[in-house]
Amino acid sequence: MIINHPLLGPRDAAEFVYLGDAALLNRPDWQASDAAEQFYDYQYLRDNPAGDHRELWYHEQGDRSWLIVARNTLSHEITKVELARDVARARKQAHG
Amino acid sequence: MTELILKSQLPLDGRSLNYPGITIEEITDQSLVSIAVPIDGAAELNAALQSAYGTERPAVGKCTNGSMDNAIFLGLSQDQFFIMFDDAKLNDKGGDPAALIRDSIGHAAYVVDQSDGWVMTRVSGDSCRAALERICPIDLHPAMFSTGNVARTVMEHLATIIVCQAPDTYILLSPRSSANSFLHALDTSAKNVA
Repeated sequence: MIINHPLLGPRDAAEFVYLGDAALLNRPDWQASDAAEQFYDYQYLRDNPAGDHRELWYHEQGDRSWLIVARNTLSHEITKVELARDVARARKQAHG
Repeated sequence: MTELILKSQLPLDGRSLNYPGITIEEITDQSLVSIAVPIDGAAELNAALQSAYGTERPAVGKCTNGSMDNAIFLGLSQDQFFIMFDDAKLNDKGGDPAALIRDSIGHAAYVVDQSDGWVMTRVSGDSCRAALERICPIDLHPAMFSTGNVARTVMEHLATIIVCQAPDTYILLSPRSSANSFLHALDTSAKNVA
């Protein structure tokens, strides 16, 4: 499998480490009144979709960047690759 | 009491291997230092590099050349790069390459000596690309990876930084602790094509 890194171009998947669902970026607010419930969801309840999935990959044998890879779990087709930090920063700007 | 004088050893004892069209040699006269960009410190660091070395920090995947000590800057990631340079001036600094860089750029970045963590080799010759392409997952064709390009990848399961220094001349960096295994991989591949 080839991942088309936004900065480095196409790289073999062997250079990457897989973490999991990109929803892991959405860490709950620990001060919320239902924080325990939210962290239970965050930690244990994962979707396991057959189809499009956004997931976190780490380019360990490369530039050490975190990527968000949109991959179809049925066909393994990769439709979009973004730097996770760009996504996180854009979201921070949008939500303040 | 006996006066002990400790002297550092090279990872590969300065070995070099020659095959028809392929030369593999250890680089013995260069230091390696990592430079990490502080948060919001990129502009200040660029100014410091410009005045000391006449160059800016390299883009990811690219190298730039400094104006002194034959320095090459290797753009490894967005916030970090390596500098390779002649260690001729090291004795003035008590053998500390990081101190030499701090002298040049001040406190504009986080600077860490990497010299003893890596084995540095140069692979060159007409057939060297044929040997390298068997173990390197990066496309090394000059149309894709030409002079001044750098990539961090794996070769034979060993972490590798590969630099194209000139046509048919590559610098390879790999962790020192597996230096002999790395040389074995290069040597085997060279034998297979020579």
